[in-house]
Amino acid sequence: MTPLEYLVSGLVLAGVFFGFVAVVGIIRLPDLYTRAHATSKSDTLGTVLSLGGVVLLFGADVAAVKTALLLLFMFITNPTAAHAITRAAYEQGIEPWTADDGGGD
Amino acid sequence: MSSLDFSPRAYVESTIIMTTVRVVSPFVFTFGLFVMFHGAESAGGGFQGGAIVASSIIMLAFAFGIEPTREWLDDDFVRVVIGGGASTFALIGLGALAFGGPFLNYSAYGISHGVKYGIELVELGIGAIVAGVIVSLFMNLAAGFSDEETEGDEA
Repeated sequence: MTPLEYLVSGLVLAGVFFGFVAVVGIIRLPDLYTRAHATSKSDTLGTVLSLGGVVLLFGADVAAVKTALLLLFMFITNPTAAHAITRAAYEQGIEPWTADDGGGD
Repeated sequence: MSSLDFSPRAYVESTIIMTTVRVVSPFVFTFGLFVMFHGAESAGGGFQGGAIVASSIIMLAFAFGIEPTREWLDDDFVRVVIGGGASTFALIGLGALAFGGPFLNYSAYGISHGVKYGIELVELGIGAIVAGVIVSLFMNLAAGFSDEETEGDEA
């Protein structure tokens, strides 16, 4: 393998790892706010790392520019969507989970 | 603006959402048109492009409030967009009949790249229909039901 392939594999594997962290977070965490917290951060990072690997693999190409733009918009829109969802939930009066609610199952 | 009264809390704008939508929505709109025009020769088409264009309008409604968006984009304009899309489709299709070919046979027009332009115009028509219908469905759902309407209306 060339150094570029090592770099791309590393980025994509790191992306998969953060995607996995987001999935564990959405299954294990107790309420909407903590789940949004887990997914918005690690899912964005996972996607961005994977797409970064894709950009490197494409090299100097139009497709690389398109992927980089996609990456940029992911960075902007993903956290904003999570913000909008949690904000709407808070305005609907959903109480955040606290340790007093118990450890759950 | 009395229809705002049905919600328990009045809508408060969020700076984060407004700024993001202000930056992103022109790109989303352009990307929707891009997808529509690509229907002729690669992945894309009127349905997907129309849905993306409609999502840019719905994003504006989320960020700036639904009632201001409804005032900015009145129902008559949306109706004209839907009707215009449908009549574009029909005119292009029937125009081919007038030139002596079957329905939607673009090569009957006899202009160079006629098939490509024909497909693109039809995709644009479909996109206008899809975008208009999605936006009006969203606006109708967002308007909600008043108590008088729902009373005794339980099926």
